[in-house]
Parts: sequence; C-alpha cells; structure tokens
Amino acid sequence: MLKAALIIARKDLRLTAERSAGLAQAAALGLLLIFLFSLSLVPGQRMSAQGAAAVFWMASAFCQVIIFGMLYGYEGNKGQKQGLLLAPIPVQSIWLGKALAGIAMLACAQALFIPAAVIFLGQEPGPAWKAGLAVILICDTGIAVAGSLTGALAHGQTGKESLLSILVFPLLAPLFLGGIRVGSSAFGGSDEATGDWLGICLAFDAVFTAAALPLFPFAYSTDE
Amino acid sequence: MNDKAGPKRNTGDRVFRLITPAALLAGLALALCWVLIFVYAPRESTLGLPQKIFYLHLPLAWWALSGFFLTFVASIVYLRTGKEQWDAAAAASAEVSLIFACSAVISGSIWARASWGVWWTWDARLTTALIMCFVYAGYLILRSLDMPPARRARAGAVFGIAAFLDVPLVFFSARLWSYIHPPSISLEPEMKLTLAACLAAFAPLWFCLAALRMKLDLDGRRLDALRAERLSREDRRS
Amino acid sequence: MLLRLNDIARFYGPRLVFSDIFLELARGDVLLLCGPNGAGKSTLLNIMAGLARPSSGTVLCDEELRISMVGHHSCVYAELSALENLRFWTGLHGLRLSDKELTGTLERMHLAAFAHEKAGTFSRGMTQRLDLARAFTVNPDILLLDEPASGLDEASLAVLRDETAAAAGRGTGIVLITHRPGELSFPGCRVALLENKRLRLYEDFDAFRERAN
Repeated sequence: MLKAALIIARKDLRLTAERSAGLAQAAALGLLLIFLFSLSLVPGQRMSAQGAAAVFWMASAFCQVIIFGMLYGYEGNKGQKQGLLLAPIPVQSIWLGKALAGIAMLACAQALFIPAAVIFLGQEPGPAWKAGLAVILICDTGIAVAGSLTGALAHGQTGKESLLSILVFPLLAPLFLGGIRVGSSAFGGSDEATGDWLGICLAFDAVFTAAALPLFPFAYSTDE
Repeated sequence: MNDKAGPKRNTGDRVFRLITPAALLAGLALALCWVLIFVYAPRESTLGLPQKIFYLHLPLAWWALSGFFLTFVASIVYLRTGKEQWDAAAAASAEVSLIFACSAVISGSIWARASWGVWWTWDARLTTALIMCFVYAGYLILRSLDMPPARRARAGAVFGIAAFLDVPLVFFSARLWSYIHPPSISLEPEMKLTLAACLAAFAPLWFCLAALRMKLDLDGRRLDALRAERLSREDRRS
Repeated sequence: MLLRLNDIARFYGPRLVFSDIFLELARGDVLLLCGPNGAGKSTLLNIMAGLARPSSGTVLCDEELRISMVGHHSCVYAELSALENLRFWTGLHGLRLSDKELTGTLERMHLAAFAHEKAGTFSRGMTQRLDLARAFTVNPDILLLDEPASGLDEASLAVLRDETAAAAGRGTGIVLITHRPGELSFPGCRVALLENKRLRLYEDFDAFRERAN
C-alpha cells in the first residue's frame, strides 16, 4: 500500500510541478489573506500572537481546499480514475498518496506563510517555536488525512462542487483551535496546555485515519 | 439502492404508522410541559424567569445530538446494505436534528445573555453545538447537490459518519479552549421532574418530524420512479 | 473461467438499463460487444470491471485477476510524457520495466518518436494508441476495451488487431465494444448484441451477421 501510495504521490507532485500555477494560486491566496489581515492593524501596531496564529491557520485552511481540489482534479478525466481503481493496489493507497502529496504541498505554502506572518503581522518566533513546528506537523497530517477523504467526496462533477470542500472547515475545528493555541505560544504568546492540545490534534489524526481507511472506497468510486 | 421501479411499499411503513399517535402524544405532552414549566416548577432564585429557557434548551440539545447519532448509525447501515430507506432515514434525522441544534444554540445564546450579560460564551457544550450546526448544514448542502442518486447517498453517508466522529473531538477542544463554564445550578426536585418531562416530551416530537420528513423523501423518490417509468413507456410507444 | 455474469440487471436511478444478462469469459476468449447507442454497453463493461455494481445478480471474478480497461476517456495524463505515463501505470501494476522495454512498447504502437513529448500535445488517435499501449503492457488477465478503434487510422487498426490476437494467445480474456464488429472480428471471436435491455450471444461473427440481417 505504501509503495503504491508513494508512486501516486510522486506522480501528483510531478504534475503539480508541471502545472505550477495551481500551487502558486493556493500560496498566493494564503499570502493575500495574511496581507489583508495586516490591514486591520494601525501602522506600527503588532497583531497579538493568537491573532497571527489564527490568520496563519486560516490561510492554511483555504490553501488546503485548493490543494485537495487540485490533487483530485488530476484524475478529472473519468478514465484516469477508472485506471487507478482497476490497478492492483488497495484503493486506500490512493487516499494515502494524495494525503502525502497534500502534506508536501501544504508545507511548501506554509514555509511562505510563516515569514509572511512574521513580517506583515509583526511577530517574533518565541521560545516555544519547537512546539509550533510540532503542531504544524500534526495539524498538517490531520488536515491532509481528512482533506484527502473529503476531497474525494467533492471530486468529480462541476465547479459548484468544489465549494463543497469549504464546508468541511468546521470538521477541522479541533485542529484549528489546537493549531491557533500552540501557534500563539510559538509566536511568544502565553504558554498553556500545549501538551493537551498536541494530544487532541493527535487524536484527531488517529480518528480520521481510522475512519478514512474503511470509508474511502465509498467516497472514491465510479459507480453511479 | 435501486429497488425495482414502481409503487412498491417500503418496510418503513410500519414506522410511519406511528406518526399520527406520536404527533398526538407530542402535542399533549408538550402542553403538559408548558404547565409544568410555568406553574409547577419553582422560580429559580438568582436567574429568575430566564432560567426556564433551560427546560427547552436541554431537551433540544439532547435530541439533536441523539439525532446526529442516528444519522451516523443509519449511514453505516446504508453503506453496508445499500438500502435507500436508510439513506432517507439518515437525511431526515440530520435535517430535524439540525433544526433542534440551531434552536438549542439560539436558546443557549439567550440564556447566556440573561445570566452573564453576553450573547455568546465559549462554553464547551454551546460551542460544540454551534460547530455541529455548521457541520450538519454542510451535510445537508452536500445532499442537495446535483449528483447521481447513488453517489449522493454514498457521499452523504461518508460525511454523516465522519461528522459524528468529530463530535467528541470538537467538544474536548472547545473545553480546552476556554475554561468558562456556566456554574451548575442545583436543581430542586420539582425542577428535575419538569426537566425529565420535557426531555421525554421532545422525543415524540422529534420522532414524528423525522418520520414525516423521511416519508416525504421516500414518497418523492417513488413518484420520480413512477414518472420515469411512464416516460419510458410512452417513449417506447412512440 | 475468468469471469461469469449471473442474471445481471442494472437500473440507472429508476430506469431499467438491462436485465437477464448471463455471460462467461474464459482465458483466450475474445467477445465483441455491440448494440445501439444508449443500450448500456459501457455500463455492462463497467460491471464486468467491478467499477459499477449490478442492481441485482452476481459477478463472479477472482479478486486476484488483473483487469485492464480502455474506456471512453483515456487514462493518459496530459502533463506527463508518453514514457512517464507508461512508467506510472506499469509501476502501479507492480512492474519495473526499463526505459528500453517501455520504448519497445511505444514502438509497437508507432509512438517511439514521441516518447518524451507531453501527452497533452498528442492527437486523439495518438492518445488512444498510448492508452492501448498502457492497457496491453500491464499484461492483464482480463482486458476490457470500449470502442478502441475510435480515432485510429487503418495502420493503427491493424496494430490493434494484432495486439488483441497476441493477448488472446497469451490467455487474456478480452471484451471489446465496437460499432463495427466486422472491422475487428477474427476467427474464434464471439459476438454479443445488447439490444432492448437483453443480451444475445452469437457463436461467431458469421452467425451474428446472418441473424442480424
């Protein structure tokens, strides 16, 4: 399963590199959001650490929608989807492959968002930056695990359905709350209950991985 | 998923026969609850009259959550069996429960205003209810999209399962987010009895609304099937 | 026996597409599937592939069997080169083929000269040939082809016929949808006609032509 997932992830990243506009669009949207939120500040004023973390995760959330819409869009043609489903691999390796590619792409975009938050929102990395990186890793995993499942649901049909991925935002609420709190302490905010938050985010990863494995074949099929 | 076309009656009919008695029961029970709430239960000393919202707020939230659980179960059964009545049951349950949950959020907000002077507090239960409203609104939007019927049913079931798994995660994260909790009110025996009566009275209300909605859905599908059959018959003749 | 359809019926929503379908496919069988537009040929092919579920009836097919399909829509990724496309699909099928072997496959489909070109620049016929190359190279047990001749010129049609015969010779069971069965028939192939919601089987092409007239 892992081998097939890696082949699929590599193919998707290769396609992303070819159509660089896709990822650039996602990253640009996130950067634009961060910049727009800097307008809520009076010149010279710094945004609170928690505010900056919230903006960072909002940018990541919108980015995720575009990324998974794009990743499943690569099999936009029915034939490619049929080809994947007929390949002698577990169907779930498609989910895993897309999730892996998604994490890689999201991390690329976030590598731009962090400096953007530092510059535009007046943040300084605080002493808890290690916890910040850990929570990014854990939340990205959860976002990718859930996004790869819901991306498969939204996949297919027309543009109106791509909006559907936005409806999964509330599902990701636990990750966002955790990401914002721990991110806030990483930007030098008050440090409390970081361990509990990492635990909740890890629990999210575990629950949605366990759910996606049996559910994905239903979400991704050609039977209509 | 694809029962033979035609006016075949569904096994759900046994359930639907209970709608009328349930509606009557709900009407009587709710009327009785009104008496209990305003006449029987004593006035709470610190909050006064607004405390009585509680008797509606709690049952609404309770049956909403139970309904979401039913959607979860019906979704699993649908994916296992492919029978369309389970799909209809999941949808109807989510729809009625969403109305209940929204009412719970609104009544909770009024409650917060009366007791703390703000319209919203980051109380874990209230926040969970609000986020669940968003999640299940998404579920209903997903179901209303123009998709092939089988695909829509499957997508709905997958989302219905994932949504309920999210409930505990949302609850614990909302609780960790803010430590503000409404002070628990010590309930007097009369209050407890009133609350129990309200909880019980909302059950037949929830049931008859959800069952009616499900019946409407299945009747609509049957009608579609009949119409399609007629069209194909006429098409063959011409 | 590779595949057995037992009393298959399929509804699309409330509409009956076909019913009472019985069919067996053995190693080395070639079955031409024809019928008017909208009769459900592609749906039947999808059911054989396991991509669609029948509304009733059973499909008996060993899980281990490799099924390959060329459908209406090609499996080709436009942004990848012909070679990269082949490498991806063969890799997914667990085959580690060298560039030389892959180029050899392209050679047979007259695509070797375009091995490093992006598939998005290909004409319809070239894309179809690349898709066929993919389907034949993974060496499936069952090969399902949905109008493989569309977009192919005479020379490519001959290649398709040869490849099909060769695959059948290796023991692959082949089902092939076509509008013009005469074009792709060869000795030993059976013909099935899907019409008026039923499937009729003919032992060979001549029997089909006789009775169809």
